[in-house]
Amino acid sequence: MTAVVNGKARRASAQQRSLIARVLATEGVPILLVLIAILVALMALAPNAFLGWRTYVSVLINYQPQIICALGLTLVIASGEIDLSFPSVITLTSLIFAAFYRFDNVFWLNWLAEGRTPEEIKAMQAQLSWLGVVAALGIGAFVGFINGALVAWIGIPSIIATLATAFVWRGMAVFLAGGKQFALRDFNQTDLWDITTGRLFTGLFQSGDVVLRKPDGIPIQAVIVLALAVLLWFILNRHRFGESLLFIGDNAHVARVVGIDVKATRVKLFTLMGALAGLAGMFLTMETENFTTTQGQASLLVVIAAVFIGGTSIFGGSGTIVGSYIGILIVVMLQIGMVAMGLGGDIADMVIGVVFVLAVILHMLVERPERLKGLGFGNR
Amino acid sequence: MRTMIRALGAAAMATSLVALASSAGAAMLGEGVTVYMQMGGQPGEPPVLPRTNGAKAAAEALGVKLIEQYSSWQAETMLAQFREALAAKPSCIAIMGHPGNDAFADLVADAIAQGIVVTSGNAPLKELQEKYQDRGFGYAGVDLYEGGAITARAMLQAGLKSGDKAMVFGNFSRGDRGLSDTGMADTLEKAGITVDRVEMSEEVNGNPPLSIPQLVAYLQQHPDTKALGTQHGGITPLLPDVAQQAGKASGELILGGIDTDPKTVAAVKAGTMTATLDQQLYLQGFLPVLQCVLSVKYEMGGFTTNTAAGTLSPKNVDALVPLIDQGIR
Amino acid sequence: MAFGNVVALRHVDFAVGRNEIVGLIGDNGAGKSTLIKIITGVLRPTSGRLYIRDQPIAWSDYSVRRAHDLRIETVYQEKSLGEKQPLWRNFFAGRQITNRWGFIDVRKEKEIANKILLDTIGFRGVGIDAESTVSKLSGGERQGVAIGRAMYFDADLIVLDEPTVALALKEVRKVLDFIERIRTSGRACIYIEHNLAHVHELADRLVVIDRGEVVSNIKRGEMSLHQLTDHLLALQAKKEAAA
Repeated sequence: MTAVVNGKARRASAQQRSLIARVLATEGVPILLVLIAILVALMALAPNAFLGWRTYVSVLINYQPQIICALGLTLVIASGEIDLSFPSVITLTSLIFAAFYRFDNVFWLNWLAEGRTPEEIKAMQAQLSWLGVVAALGIGAFVGFINGALVAWIGIPSIIATLATAFVWRGMAVFLAGGKQFALRDFNQTDLWDITTGRLFTGLFQSGDVVLRKPDGIPIQAVIVLALAVLLWFILNRHRFGESLLFIGDNAHVARVVGIDVKATRVKLFTLMGALAGLAGMFLTMETENFTTTQGQASLLVVIAAVFIGGTSIFGGSGTIVGSYIGILIVVMLQIGMVAMGLGGDIADMVIGVVFVLAVILHMLVERPERLKGLGFGNR
Repeated sequence: MRTMIRALGAAAMATSLVALASSAGAAMLGEGVTVYMQMGGQPGEPPVLPRTNGAKAAAEALGVKLIEQYSSWQAETMLAQFREALAAKPSCIAIMGHPGNDAFADLVADAIAQGIVVTSGNAPLKELQEKYQDRGFGYAGVDLYEGGAITARAMLQAGLKSGDKAMVFGNFSRGDRGLSDTGMADTLEKAGITVDRVEMSEEVNGNPPLSIPQLVAYLQQHPDTKALGTQHGGITPLLPDVAQQAGKASGELILGGIDTDPKTVAAVKAGTMTATLDQQLYLQGFLPVLQCVLSVKYEMGGFTTNTAAGTLSPKNVDALVPLIDQGIR
Repeated sequence: MAFGNVVALRHVDFAVGRNEIVGLIGDNGAGKSTLIKIITGVLRPTSGRLYIRDQPIAWSDYSVRRAHDLRIETVYQEKSLGEKQPLWRNFFAGRQITNRWGFIDVRKEKEIANKILLDTIGFRGVGIDAESTVSKLSGGERQGVAIGRAMYFDADLIVLDEPTVALALKEVRKVLDFIERIRTSGRACIYIEHNLAHVHELADRLVVIDRGEVVSNIKRGEMSLHQLTDHLLALQAKKEAAA
């Protein structure tokens, strides 16, 4: 009698355990719990900042370029490579877009402005900015292609190749800028701005009678980037190209043996990354309506950290888009939280470092719970 | 169309030939003078560009051969570049004070002993200046601390009262880089303002747009903050965005910053930005070259010029916009 | 076939009959792997010609994918499975079931993968399914997966590269039975093996490669296992004398 009862009980708890285990094994859940824990802590420590919507909307407005790069980098790292040149690509494509809008300000386009009235120039600005979109994305893809060619056809390890090209793209940006900086005045009056950088649901965010150039609302860039994240998830996990990346990252020899064209896939990968960096650069300029020659430079380590915090493995063969998206949010919320409390950026860096290490340990444990036993926990 | 281009080309040639002839006639003041000049950051960067333009303009007007040096703001690189300049034995070397008096002492002594004129700009070297002033060691720049103070005074004038709260976002713990932030904070405190000094991360230093959500969160958390100030040239243009995203009406916050980024200027014009320190960086490039020529040719002593005339405000902004676009102001 | 300055294979004439098991033996570094990689489309030789089913094939047309199309499959054991990838990906790597846009029909692949695991390979109730990662399988189980894949895709020529290395006795027997079944089902096989007893038992013909060249072609029945061993030792002695 007792034995039967015990047997039933054991089977039931086995089912329960597997449900929890299954939920934890779903992509992104462990790191999402970390993010939620951090947000709860911040809401307690800095309630005015984290219980209202303004802080979150501000993040959505200003962090899209970093998110785009983290998403692209996830694919790169999953295939066993790294790209250190994306900050410079951002600078370059940021400039390209700014230059098309302010063609009167760059030595290689200002011939278009000769003999035109200010009104004509303004109209041309709006038109040329569309061309600027094509140019920025195209140039981004092109420089990515060069990165890919160096890695795949010439065989330079990606860490070295992209480190080297980072200098080239940045220098090119400064050169083409004629050493100047640009303000994209009145860009937010154009149709292009409405489509890419405008605000949605402004009705929900009315803040009195204040007339603002950029109304409060959900930035369209955030929506676009979210859609991009979904697309990239499907590409990595459900598309032939993504599967090739996973196999190459797992073991390039195996990939070759099962018939994957490793060289061509690598070139496509870096071209894609370049195009994404181009999108990021463009979005950055569109939102800040400004270009300076140091645009985008310092984000390298934080974006890379976010990808690893999110759970993508440095060894290649797997990658999580969901994790990288959450990883950026974790890093950002920690940075913002520290400043909101009046603590310096250096304290934020320390906290981020600790969270980084803990997150990586968490991912290792989720992947292989046996490691816990090795540490002496759980004697069953 | 083609004939028009040809005609224009011919006219251009003629004009330049005339110019050459006339200039060849009179000997230029700085003829034979070679100057190695430290520009600071990277070519084209906002805090570097007007200085470079000023130096080049002075070099052209005086007939000086100018060699520019860029160090990405790294003190070590500046010292290494000084050694390079020394080896080339120019007439004059213009440096920036970032590495400090001690680091430069021996190098400058060597240069002076070899008859090379040394002068400085942008960041001061008080000790060396006192020692070698009679040999032509001058200074053209803003006293960093004073610059912050000037900006703070403009902010106070805009309507801050004793007991108000302000936040200064800067590099307080990073030595000389934080002098202007300290000047700003001290000046505000002396006037009875409660100042929260918040340190910015290196990432924000290099990537200003990332500061926006951080500052928004701060303003949300401390809603009674009346003023926000910084002396970071990349963050200043973004302060109006911060104010808006934090839900503040235009002019509700007193915002103080530095340098004349086109976006900042536009904001000052629109009234969303209270005041920004005008370093007149052009002078910081022009004057050292002039100093070099006068000291090399006529053994004149070094002169000190505080290039910061004051702040840019809605009152004086209109005239300056086109000059800023050209990288002169 | 030259890799830079190293000539890996020299004047190798190699043929496999329609229903023949050819054993390929030789010391490490003799060139067996290189030859296999050429036959299966992984490497392109610096010179030579290829005929498949009596049709000449241009090297520029040949690749792993093309080899698969021509019903040539390889079982490499470790070197043909992605360690961190689930089994359903490994079964269809390089030839996924996709729609027009290249998106994989994951449900179908998993369905077929589970069927292969159950029916073809015979994994019943051992906790292995299409979602399992390769890293969690033993050496024998991985071998089973690689073989199952080759069988599912209905190859006419199956190349086995050291298939019994690091396997338990029971699993070795299974592999040898599988190779025998290849012959009885009318197919062909190239079988690389270090263990002379196994290959002597099964092969219709033995090809010995040494330092990039074919040195012997031995038909079934020509030598006993003992004689074969002596023959190889003699080759070894000749090599050492020449050195």
